[in-house]
Amino acid sequence: MSLLKPFSKLPGLNTANILLVESEEQFQQSLADALVEETSVTVNVRLAKSLPLPMENDESRPRIDLVVFIINLTSELSFQSAEASLKYLDPGYFLGKVCFMVTNARNASSPAERLDAVRKLASSLHCPLLFAEDQTPDGVASATERLLTILKVAAGLVPIATALYVSNLTRCTLPLDIDLPSFD
Amino acid sequence: MSFGLEASSITFREVMESSDSQGKLNHMVGTVEPNDVPAAEGATGQKDTSPVDMLRIKQQMSNQCFEMAVQLNAEKNKRSCSTSEAERDLPEYISELERVKTLHFNSTLTLHRMQMWHAIGEKLNWSDSEADALKAISDRCMGLCSHIKHLQQESKKLQDEITEIQKNRLEMKRVTHEKIKHMEEFSKKEYPDMEKYKAALEKGQANLEKYKKMAIMTQNVLRGILLACKVNWLDDPKLRDIAMTLEEFPISE
Repeated sequence: MSLLKPFSKLPGLNTANILLVESEEQFQQSLADALVEETSVTVNVRLAKSLPLPMENDESRPRIDLVVFIINLTSELSFQSAEASLKYLDPGYFLGKVCFMVTNARNASSPAERLDAVRKLASSLHCPLLFAEDQTPDGVASATERLLTILKVAAGLVPIATALYVSNLTRCTLPLDIDLPSFD
Repeated sequence: MSFGLEASSITFREVMESSDSQGKLNHMVGTVEPNDVPAAEGATGQKDTSPVDMLRIKQQMSNQCFEMAVQLNAEKNKRSCSTSEAERDLPEYISELERVKTLHFNSTLTLHRMQMWHAIGEKLNWSDSEADALKAISDRCMGLCSHIKHLQQESKKLQDEITEIQKNRLEMKRVTHEKIKHMEEFSKKEYPDMEKYKAALEKGQANLEKYKKMAIMTQNVLRGILLACKVNWLDDPKLRDIAMTLEEFPISE
């Protein structure tokens, strides 16, 4: 299978590459528009509907620093497609180079079980879980800011922090985790 | 989303080749104009990189190398253990890591501080316009610092005085409370003796009333005698003394 590997290519100078995976292909467009506005670093945004990525682009594709799965909580298909795409990522990515972003969490038509399932998934993989609001430009802007923070760390642009270190601080935890008697 | 050579951030859309549409090649939905690839190269080549930028890029590269080295090491030091064991050990390792990182960061800061002070010291040794400006500023700083010290001492003195006064006040309050308590105790304790005293007091008062009545009666009688005799008591000194004493007591109640 064609796994996406994190360290199989040389990194770019002063660049950060991000891959947005969303099965509905809506939010990723506006996010991409906002992400490329960043001036201090060259941000390359690649968009995909799901993994695995097509082999034909493999040569020209740069090294991906951060993979973001965008899940729309109102559609079950979105969640399942994201889950299925996880298999095509090399395990090396899960040490801080994967992030989950969830939209429509406040929508009445999104069932609570789906959010719980996403939370469980994110916490079992030790990845951060971000909530975003995709309808207003303010929501897109704030989601972009947070993604950029994580992206800059994943691309090595922050001198003190590496992706693995920061992932320990930003990982999603389930509320029940605190009560579990896991320290005996 | 077209960009010039400066801000070259590019978006590519990767379309997966679906199995049923074999005729469709995966095409790059080019949301940029055709000169995207050269733009990528042009960005790194044509930007004027200042030393600061170069340092930053070097830092980024060293970070990347560090990550790759970590991955390689992880492959080497594999050991098998269960996930729950790993979860348990993880927080200790993280806190140890944080401790070491903070230590390192603080040491770096101290080092930078020392370097800065050394540089300032060296600069002050030369005598050019900047050194003069530095000297003036440092003199002003010294003046302000001694002023601060002076003010701090004054405020400390005043604070001490305030504390003294508060202590005294508290002491006074305590003493007052004690006295009040004593008074209450005493006022309660009197009861067994008070009966006796009250009885004695009442007897004394009754006696006083009796003797007063007697005195008034005697007075009235004497007055009556004087008036009835129609004697001129003003001229006779002995009679005058007696008449004067009759005025001291009230005539009747």
